[in-house]
Amino acid sequence: MKLPFFLSPDGREGGGPADPTETPRMGGQVLPGAGTPPASAEVRDEPGQAPEPGPTNKAAMAAGRVPQVTSPAGPAGPTKIAARDVSVFYGEKQALFDVSLDIPDKTVTAFIGPSGCGKSTFLRCMNRMNDTIQGAKVTGSILMDGEDINARSVDPVLLRAQVGMVFQKPNPFPKTIYENVAYGPRIHGLTTSKSEMDGVVESALKKAGLWEEVADRLHSAGTSLSGGQQQRLVIARAIAVNPQVILMDEPCSALDPIATARIEELIDELRERYCIVIVTHSMAQAARVSQRTAFFHLGRLVEHGNTEEIFTNPRERRTLDYITGRFG
Amino acid sequence: MIEAPEPIAEAARDGRLKAGLKARYAREGRFRLYGILAVSVAIGFLLLLLGRIIEQGHTAFYANQVTLPVYMDPARIDRAYPQGTNFQQMVAQQQLARMGVADDPQGSQATAYRSLLSSELKFRAADLIRNDPSLIGQTVVITAPVSDEADLYYKGEITRETAADQRRVSDQQMAWLDTLKAEGAVSTTFNTLLFTNGDSTEPELAGVLGAVVGSALMLLVTAGLAIPLGVGAAVYLEEFSRKGRITDLIEVNINNLAAVPSIVYGLLGVALFINWAHLPRSSPLVGGLVLALMALPTIIIATRSALKAVPPSIREAALAMGASRTQTVFHHVLPLAMPGVMTGTIISMAHALGETAPLLLIGMVSFVPGIPGAITEPAGALPSLVYIWENASERAFHERTAAAILVLLTFMVVMNAAAILLRRRFERRW
Repeated sequence: MKLPFFLSPDGREGGGPADPTETPRMGGQVLPGAGTPPASAEVRDEPGQAPEPGPTNKAAMAAGRVPQVTSPAGPAGPTKIAARDVSVFYGEKQALFDVSLDIPDKTVTAFIGPSGCGKSTFLRCMNRMNDTIQGAKVTGSILMDGEDINARSVDPVLLRAQVGMVFQKPNPFPKTIYENVAYGPRIHGLTTSKSEMDGVVESALKKAGLWEEVADRLHSAGTSLSGGQQQRLVIARAIAVNPQVILMDEPCSALDPIATARIEELIDELRERYCIVIVTHSMAQAARVSQRTAFFHLGRLVEHGNTEEIFTNPRERRTLDYITGRFG
Repeated sequence: MIEAPEPIAEAARDGRLKAGLKARYAREGRFRLYGILAVSVAIGFLLLLLGRIIEQGHTAFYANQVTLPVYMDPARIDRAYPQGTNFQQMVAQQQLARMGVADDPQGSQATAYRSLLSSELKFRAADLIRNDPSLIGQTVVITAPVSDEADLYYKGEITRETAADQRRVSDQQMAWLDTLKAEGAVSTTFNTLLFTNGDSTEPELAGVLGAVVGSALMLLVTAGLAIPLGVGAAVYLEEFSRKGRITDLIEVNINNLAAVPSIVYGLLGVALFINWAHLPRSSPLVGGLVLALMALPTIIIATRSALKAVPPSIREAALAMGASRTQTVFHHVLPLAMPGVMTGTIISMAHALGETAPLLLIGMVSFVPGIPGAITEPAGALPSLVYIWENASERAFHERTAAAILVLLTFMVVMNAAAILLRRRFERRW
C-alpha cells in the first residue's frame, strides 16, 4: 500500500490536523464531535505526564459502559507498560519503527491500523512472543512496572505467566475443557492440590463467563465447543494463571456478531482487574471496548490517545482517513 | 464505469461453455476409469501373489503321522543311553517281520523302510524309555510323523508316475506306505511341529518358531533403539535446533540415508558391530542394530513431517501460556504429531521385519536349529528362513517356504494391526 501523500515534504510522519470539513462516519452513524476542529492537536500527548481533566463525551461509546479513562491527555490507571523506541526486525525487514507508547493499567487499549501495520508485531513484543520467531530482533525498551522485559535477567516463561495472550483464531488445546484451563496453573506449579486446582478452574471459567455453559461437561473436549465458547475458554485459560496483562490479537475476527458481543462484554468486565491490550480490525469494536486507542500505520505509531478523542477528533489526517474507512 | 463491447457474443459463449463442460466430464470419467484400473491391477497382483503362496503353502500346515506298535527290544536298547538306540531301524525290522518280508544280510530292506519314518520317532521312543525304563521289554504304541518323502507321497505330490530321478521314494516304499494307510495306521493332523520347532535339516521336523522368535527379538532391539533415537532426533531437528546450513546439510544426509541400499547397512554392521565391537555373529542383537540404523532415517523423516503438520496455533498457545519449549513440545506438539509418528514407525518396522539383505551379511542366514533364548544367541529370522528353505534341496521344503512366507505376512499383519489400534487410541484421546 503506497500512500505518499501521508508523508510531509520534510519526511516527518503525519500530515497535520484532519480536514475539519470531513465528517467522520462509522457504521453510517455520525460520530459526535465530528466536524469540530481538533482542540488540542498541538499538545503532544505523552501519557503519564500531567494528566489534565478533559471533556468527557460518552454518548457514542457502547451503551451503559463508562470507561475509566476520562482525560484526553492521560490515562486513568497508572502506566503498566512503557515502550520506548521499540523497533522490530524480521531478518532484513523492519516491521516496526521506533514505537513509544504508554499502556495504562486497568484499561483497555486498542491497537488499530490496516493489515501489516505492525500492531500485532508490537503486541507480540509485550510477551516476547517474537523471541520464538527465528530471525526476529527487538530493539528499544519495554518496561513493565518499571522493569525491562527484554532484559537478560527476565525469563520469558515467567513473563508470559504475567502477560497472557489470546489469539485471533480460538486455539484451545486438544484436551478437555478442565485441562485447558488447568494447564497454566499446572506448569507454573501454582496449585498444590486437586481441590485448589478445581477452584482455580472454576474461578477462571466464571470470570470468562463460561462456567454456566460448561460446568456439566468439564471433561469433554475443549475443541467441541463453539467458536465463541472456545475463545472464552482460551480467555479463561489465560486468566487462570492470574496475569497482570492480557494481550488479545484480534480475538473476535473469527467469530459471529453474537459471540463477538459476548467477548466484548467480557473484555469490559475484565478491564477492572487487568491491563488489556487488544488488536482489532474493527473500528466499531475499538470504539466500543477500549478507552485508549493507538493507530499504527506502515510500522509506525501514528497517533494514540483516548479512544473518544481518536474517534471524534484525530489529530492526524491518516487516522481520520482510516477510522472513516477511506483506506485500510 | 468504462464502456467496453463484450468480446464474446452471448450465443457463442453458451456454446463454448457447454462444449467445454462435456469435455470436462469426459476427462473426469476417463480419470475415474484409470483409477479403477490402477486399483484393480494392484488388487489383482496382490490376489495372485497371495493365491500362489497359499496354493503352494497350505499343504505344509497339515502333516501325516503314523501310529505303530513298537516292541522295546531289551537286546537293542541301552538302558543308560536310550537315545543311542537306532529305534527307526528297530521299528523297520519289526514291521518287515510283521509283513513277512525277508531282509538281506545288509538289512537294505529295513534301511529302505526306515527312511519312511521320521527321526522324531527315535526321539519320542528315547524320551519314553528315559522317563520310564520299565517299558523296556514291552510293546508301546508310538505316534510320530512320517518322513518328508512319505508325507509328500501321502499328499499326492509324488506319485508312481513321477520320474524316478524326481523322487526318492521307490515303488516298493510306496507299496509299504499304501499298506500302512490301508491298515489305518496313518492319520493326517495339523502340523504343530511347524509352529513349535526351530529349523531342522529334516523338513518334516523343521519349524518356524526359531525364526519367529529371532525376528521378534530383533524387532525389539530395532524398535527399542530406532524409535527413541529417531523421534528424539526429529524433535530436536524440528523444534530445537537453529535452522541453518548445518541443519540443511543434516536433512539432505538423512534423506540420502533413507535411500541407501540395505546391503550397505549390512556391510556397515559387519564392520562396526561384529569386527570392531565383537558382538556375537548371527545374533538378533546385531541384526536389530543394523535394522535400527536402517529404520532411523524413515522414522526421522516421518516424525519431522508429522511435527511440521501440527498447527502453529497450538505451539503459540502453549508458549503464550508460559510453557517452556520442552513443555510445549512434549505436552502439545508431540502428542498431536503422534499418529503421524506411529505411521512412520509402523512402516519402518514392517520394512525391518521383511529385510533380508543385511541379514545375509551378518550371518543370520546360517542354519540355526533350536529357539533363541536371548538377543546374544545365534538366531534366524523369518525372511532369512524363507531364503534358506527356498534354497534347500529337499522337495518338502518348498511347501514350507510358502508356509513361512504366510507366517511372515501374518506376523506383519498382526504387528501392523496392533500398531494401528494403538494409533487409533492415540487419536481418540483428542
